[in-house]
Amino acid sequence: MKYYLAFLFCCFMASGADSHPSTPLPSNTTDTYSYPSLAKQTVLLTVHGALDRALIAPLFRAFIAQHPHTQIQYTELNTNALYQTFLDAPQDRPDIMMSPAMDLQFKLVNDGFALRNDSPPPQSLPMDSQWRQELFGFTYEPIVMVINTDILTGSPLPTSREQLLTLIRDKDHLLDGKIGLFDIKKVGLGYLAWSYDSQQYRTYGRLLEAFGNHKAQLYTDTHTMLEALLKGDLFIAYNLVGSYAFQWSKKYPWIVTLMPTDYTSIIMRTAFINRQTTHPKTAKSFIDFLLSHQGQSLLEASGITPLDRHITGQNSRQALQKLPHGIFRPIPLGLELLIQTDSAKKQLIYDEWNDALGSSTPLSQ
Amino acid sequence: MSKTRSLRRQLLVMTFIVLLFISSLALWGAHIYANRTTKISYDRLLYGAALQMVENITLVNGKVIIDLPISAFETLSLSSSDRAFYSIMNTQYQVLTGYKDLPDIPFPQLIRESQQNQPIKPLYYESNYRGERVRFIILSKRLLEADKSKTVFVIVGQTMEARAKAAKEFNQIALQFVSVFFIITMLLLLFVIWQVLRPLQSIKQAITERSSLDLSALDIHVPSEIAPLVGSINYFMAQLDNTLQRLERFTAESAHQIRTPLAGLISQAQNALDEKDSALRKQQLENILESSQLLTQTVNQLLNRATLTHRFQSHPFSLLSLDELIKDTCRELVVWALEKHVEIAYVGDAKTNILGDEFALKQMLHNIIENAVKYSPEHGTVEVELMTQSTALSNQATLQIRDQGVGVCYEDKLHIFEYFYRSADNVAAGSGIGLSIAKEVAEHHKAIFRLKDNQPTGLIVEIVFLCVEESKQ
Repeated sequence: MKYYLAFLFCCFMASGADSHPSTPLPSNTTDTYSYPSLAKQTVLLTVHGALDRALIAPLFRAFIAQHPHTQIQYTELNTNALYQTFLDAPQDRPDIMMSPAMDLQFKLVNDGFALRNDSPPPQSLPMDSQWRQELFGFTYEPIVMVINTDILTGSPLPTSREQLLTLIRDKDHLLDGKIGLFDIKKVGLGYLAWSYDSQQYRTYGRLLEAFGNHKAQLYTDTHTMLEALLKGDLFIAYNLVGSYAFQWSKKYPWIVTLMPTDYTSIIMRTAFINRQTTHPKTAKSFIDFLLSHQGQSLLEASGITPLDRHITGQNSRQALQKLPHGIFRPIPLGLELLIQTDSAKKQLIYDEWNDALGSSTPLSQ
Repeated sequence: MSKTRSLRRQLLVMTFIVLLFISSLALWGAHIYANRTTKISYDRLLYGAALQMVENITLVNGKVIIDLPISAFETLSLSSSDRAFYSIMNTQYQVLTGYKDLPDIPFPQLIRESQQNQPIKPLYYESNYRGERVRFIILSKRLLEADKSKTVFVIVGQTMEARAKAAKEFNQIALQFVSVFFIITMLLLLFVIWQVLRPLQSIKQAITERSSLDLSALDIHVPSEIAPLVGSINYFMAQLDNTLQRLERFTAESAHQIRTPLAGLISQAQNALDEKDSALRKQQLENILESSQLLTQTVNQLLNRATLTHRFQSHPFSLLSLDELIKDTCRELVVWALEKHVEIAYVGDAKTNILGDEFALKQMLHNIIENAVKYSPEHGTVEVELMTQSTALSNQATLQIRDQGVGVCYEDKLHIFEYFYRSADNVAAGSGIGLSIAKEVAEHHKAIFRLKDNQPTGLIVEIVFLCVEESKQ
């Protein structure tokens, strides 16, 4: 659900000078941030996304520097909320919709809410990273497991799901209530990763059973989960987005982020232009900017792995390749995603989930 | 030269048009085939996806369990840029999962088919949905569990971008193929046309190369289709040669015919000058007069012929009454004949019109009748008769001029139309040119000119004219 950071983040840029945040101003209780334009006459581009504003802000600023008449308003929501808001409040639909919940994004585009961007996508991006020139993948992020090494006490660091199961079996009651998971009913990304596991991993049932037996804790956002790992409330977190986790591990080296070596799911954050946007030209140039070398480099600098494989740096795809990892299995951006949004299928997965985790929370959608 | 080029251009234009027509036909056919093929193949994808969905719907404890397989969506994603929609419904048309607002579902047809208790075939239909044209398939499945059964409908739809793209690609390939085919065929045909028209060029070459006096037959090898042309040219040249030779002979003969009587006249006049006896001198002068008249007649005939030859080329035919013309001619000659104690009898009352040159025809009649009178015995009769016959093809008018003279023997009939031909035993005075002119006039009028023997003796000159149709008068 929405979490409210009740302030408006404003950022002014003097030409040639570095940006500096001004005093936060209270706003009407949404986590909306404004990035003002550099000229008087402005085009207001509204963007909804799940990305942490601190990570996306440099990109917005660079875009405004190139398009001085543009003002950007960014609203940060969790993936399910993004989707629901889009459907429930047609008058508040943004110009640009960004989300890592590929299935929900895909559903919206398939249902005809997206505007086609005819400018050819950069050659450096893979062909299957866009769909119909309407939905564009722009990041390349592994789904990881994060382990607080305090739990190991001599046991080897698990690198695959199988080894994770062994560790859970070995530590047994030590891990009761110490495993963290996304609540798949509330977090779109969590559901996507989990249902993709159900398609890929033959023993995901055993994994689910192990989580159930140890009363896994359910979370709705990555930050809280990472905080809990740091505090020792959790020892294991499963299916987190790599970008945040790797940064966390860098700060706190005893919290290790692992790409499972049996296979590593890859999600792409995707963006599309609302078909009813009043500024199609600006929206299109924003998408072009997002996919451009500069945009991708800015993402990398923010710690998010960009899609472009030619970008170098510690958060690039090239850097990911050098870390231990399994077969990279990008979740395909195509009609296959429709199955993740199928209500009957969802109910089946929820039922299994409920059976294992003992929760009887009714279907929230 | 210009003729040859235009023939080539005609051939080129014709082949171009024919090729263009064939190519458009081929493209049109390919277009239809492409659309049909892409429709069938993409319909199969839809059908495959729907079947995979159907396979994964089961009835457990009276409850419909739908566990859609990823493979169904993978099948749909083979047309990578098309949106897809699906819905699974029960017989109360409640959506169990999938899109809840699919349009134009053909329920009446479903009900009809399910009532007929036949295995339901996949049903395809098209509709506009969410801003695009979508092709849908609907399948039904009867779910069985012990004594319970339920029917569900699976509807799968997909936009048609991939179909259009595939058909377009197919059409483009067809277009490329047809274009290449067109160019190659056109080049081959250009070569063939050049090859075929080459003999014509060689004829032209052969004719230009020879001297203007050479009228011998062309000896070149040409295809059998062009051989008649060469034959015609050779025939024409032979004719020309013949005509030139006749003209040459005629000129020589004419000169001779005029020079001989002139020489006679001169010697007779010389004699008359020297003659003392007035009675004899009178006789000699009368001879001179007679010879002069004969010479005048010959010269007149030659002039007439020259006039006629000129008229043949310049004077158009007009409609005239043949019977009137004959009667006039007979009237003009009857007095002259009577002086020679010969009667001219016009027989018959046929009336007919022909197209012809009045002056020339009159000249012809004059010559024939005069001839007949000349060769008639004293108190003989020259009969002139005009008869008409109608056949299915045409109307004919036959003119016969019969005399009772000695007739013409077989030997003479062969030569009688030669200029200045005179039979060896001919006693009558004449130029020997009259019948030749008559025959030329008749032939100029496309009439048949024949000589027949009269009974018991004499000659029949028969000329058969083609009459003008009644309707054309």
